[in-house]
Amino acid sequence: MGCGVSKSDQFHKHSGKAVTTIRAAVLIQRWYRQYVARAEMRRRYTWHIFQSIEYSGEQAQIKLYNFLGYLMDNFTPASNERNLISHIFRENEVCRDAEWERYFCYKNIEVPEIYSGPHLFFPLTVEQAVGLVEAFRNKKQLHSRYVLQLLAETWKLFRMMPNINRISTCQSKEITICGDLHGQLEDLLLIFYKNGMPSLEKPYLFNGDFVDRGKDSIEILIILFAFLLVYPSEVYLNRGNHEDHIVNLRYGFTKEVLTKYKMHGKRILKLLQKIFSWLPLATVIDQKVLVLHGGISDTTDLGVLTRVDRHNYVSALRPPKKRHIISTGTSIDSDVDEDVWGTNKSFQRRASLIYPQPLGTRGSFHNRSLQDFSDRIRGKEEDDLEARKRRQSVFINRSTEKETTLTVSTDSESSDNVRDEWKQILDLLWSDPMSQDGCVPNEVRGGGCYWGPDVTEDFLNRHNLQLIIRSHECKQEGYEFCHNRKVLTLFSASNYYDVGSNRGAYVKLGPDLVPYMIQYQATSMTRELTVRQSAGRTERSALKVLREQLFAHKSDLICAFKKLDSNNTGLVSLNDWATAVESVMHLGLPWRMMRGQLVTCKSSDGTVDFNEWFNELAIKRPNTDHIDQSLLETLYRHRSTLETIFRIVDTDNSGFITIEDFRQTWKLLSVYLKMEITDEAISDLSVTIDRNQDGSIDIDEFMEAFRLTDKKSRLERGRSMFMGTATDLTKLDEDPNI
Amino acid sequence: MAPKKKEEPKPAAPVAPPEPERPKTPEFDPTSVTLEFTPEQIEDFKDSFQLFDRTPANEMKITYAQCGDLIRALGQNPTNAEIIHVLGKPKPEDMQTKMLDFDQFLSIHQHICKAKNRGTYEDFVEGLRVFDKEGNGSVMGAELRHVLATLGEKMREDEVEQLMQNQEDPNGCINYEAFVKYIMAS
Repeated sequence: MGCGVSKSDQFHKHSGKAVTTIRAAVLIQRWYRQYVARAEMRRRYTWHIFQSIEYSGEQAQIKLYNFLGYLMDNFTPASNERNLISHIFRENEVCRDAEWERYFCYKNIEVPEIYSGPHLFFPLTVEQAVGLVEAFRNKKQLHSRYVLQLLAETWKLFRMMPNINRISTCQSKEITICGDLHGQLEDLLLIFYKNGMPSLEKPYLFNGDFVDRGKDSIEILIILFAFLLVYPSEVYLNRGNHEDHIVNLRYGFTKEVLTKYKMHGKRILKLLQKIFSWLPLATVIDQKVLVLHGGISDTTDLGVLTRVDRHNYVSALRPPKKRHIISTGTSIDSDVDEDVWGTNKSFQRRASLIYPQPLGTRGSFHNRSLQDFSDRIRGKEEDDLEARKRRQSVFINRSTEKETTLTVSTDSESSDNVRDEWKQILDLLWSDPMSQDGCVPNEVRGGGCYWGPDVTEDFLNRHNLQLIIRSHECKQEGYEFCHNRKVLTLFSASNYYDVGSNRGAYVKLGPDLVPYMIQYQATSMTRELTVRQSAGRTERSALKVLREQLFAHKSDLICAFKKLDSNNTGLVSLNDWATAVESVMHLGLPWRMMRGQLVTCKSSDGTVDFNEWFNELAIKRPNTDHIDQSLLETLYRHRSTLETIFRIVDTDNSGFITIEDFRQTWKLLSVYLKMEITDEAISDLSVTIDRNQDGSIDIDEFMEAFRLTDKKSRLERGRSMFMGTATDLTKLDEDPNI
Repeated sequence: MAPKKKEEPKPAAPVAPPEPERPKTPEFDPTSVTLEFTPEQIEDFKDSFQLFDRTPANEMKITYAQCGDLIRALGQNPTNAEIIHVLGKPKPEDMQTKMLDFDQFLSIHQHICKAKNRGTYEDFVEGLRVFDKEGNGSVMGAELRHVLATLGEKMREDEVEQLMQNQEDPNGCINYEAFVKYIMAS
């Protein structure tokens, strides 16, 4: 017995130590798992913040475009205001080819001796294409003469291509497919480094959205077009929703080109407009795999898409001009042509901008998708809140209620055809998949649909296909399958929302048609950061953007708070705070969870002093006390729209607008926002901005003066993404965790 | 015939001292849990629950597999064993398919919150001191990695890597007090 006891004593001694060790291990493991779960939670809502702001930006862009179109439709022809914006709708100028050739002629452009960038000699060789890649890697810029020449050759090539490319992976060739690049040259270079450049043995397919947001969009285009010219049977490009000059006005491509090419930028942009309209819409591989940028809808028909005149759709946001059909009083589109305005007596004159008496209710154009708008539905007023709720619920929860179907005008057969074609293209470029069955309009983005697994199934069966590869949505791992692995989303712009936010991916597809994904992440900024640090950094960046948004809605928020603060104490409970914030912002974010990071001034009993909170959020501005605060707030909130309107108004793309145009712009904006902006307020503004009193205003200075853009980043990634602000990385340098 | 011997009760064999009964953990009974959360807390949990809800029609349900993550995201740090226990010891295949609604989750969460031994800073440091062979405040990174991957509720290699990233000094040692502070400051 004694033996046994002493044995078990010894045993217990050893096992005592073992137990402690195990206990220690379990403790660490528990804490680690908790840390991971919390980090994942934060990553999720950080993602939500970025994505909801991105999509609401797109929606705002479409609303703006709708609004401008609405003005066009409702103007007296002679008004100045209309002239300001009419030129962006002048898409199908009647112009003969010879005239275009003269306009785009590069031959007179001389390349100076001191130019140190690459020289191009046509026909292009692969060495030159590779040379371009190297040159851009070394931060060189291609001379405008060569740009125009390259684009002219590219244009010729695209005009010979069909709407839908059909390619095959014959003889065990693998095709490499890339998703959105959005001007991020680093990612393209990384793909070429890992995978090799395009060649006869290495075909490539780029699935749209080459431009906007990133800072090297034109360089990416030049590289892609160069390889296309060298290997026309091995390089394929699909059009994305950002290959659209209207979208480019807001998202940075227009600005990039005009900045880099001050003299010839306008011509380059015009030529690109044509090229974009000639980009193929989709590609089919081995008759089994369909690759397109956005997605499909329940009405998508490849037969129809094969037959459309795709180049008529210079911008997917608007149906093309129909030259023949201008029926009495109900002209379907209003692509303006001076002659048409003048001679068409039956066109009913509407009120001018100054005294708008809108056709439908003012609010109505805000809420519709593009197709609804162009139908000029009278008086059908959707409840503003209802539409926004739907948007939010579709975005977050994918509501099951079906939207009312689009009412299509049935004026005539050809107009039906146009409508149908237009919808097909719009769906192709803008749609997103959703997890439940059905097909509903994509009100979050403002164009295209959300389509469900049943639609995928039906579509694939009808067309005898087995897989859809699309892009258009940022994914954390660079790719994501859905709909029973029948739909693959592919995104190739890493660190898209911010440094460390996501990886990029490309796909290799061989004759077996089984997609093989390769992921990567551009590392110039991330190398030094641990996973933890880079996640924290993305989160801080998202919160910063969110705080700005909150501040920009100050008046509405104060209103909402006051409603809940019946005793006028200036305090609200945390719960009420969350409810009020969501009711104003409509972003569908978990405010309660984030309140720790958004509100630091809460008192011990858990109430929030909301005035104090705004002081916390306040963004400092220089010397603007004499300007109406609510006007400033409006400016700030709509700064991206404002900038877009400025760029439209700046018809010669000089970066300056006259005081008079400035005034007109304000009038435009005030109508759009349904706000009263007095003439005095506008005068005050003009005086402040036109510092040298020469009658013209520098757009960039204006945006800068009111801190409508963050101070220009001195760092490489001077990218403008969220409502016109650049992620100010210089501020993050002070952060001790980095 | 010999009379049947009345069988005497055999002398009992030497009985080993009864083994201490392994304490049987009773099955978890959700109805036995009284909720002590405030309404505010419940609203908070609802927010987070919604963030985890991946059902297409937003049915306010999460999978069994997500339950542990959600509880941890809300600030508790149960072991995997504790999670499995409160879920009623489900089969591995059930983890992805069976769902919890919000009320069921609340009971589970309440139970975990009431449990003791969360592990304080001191517990932690004590635990790590076990590996401090030289008593100098540091442990060998390699040994810690080995332990975390082989003992207790084992971690995967990539998880260990993520945890220990940048923690070891050039000699492969980790100052464990700093390490604990680092882990607990999530």
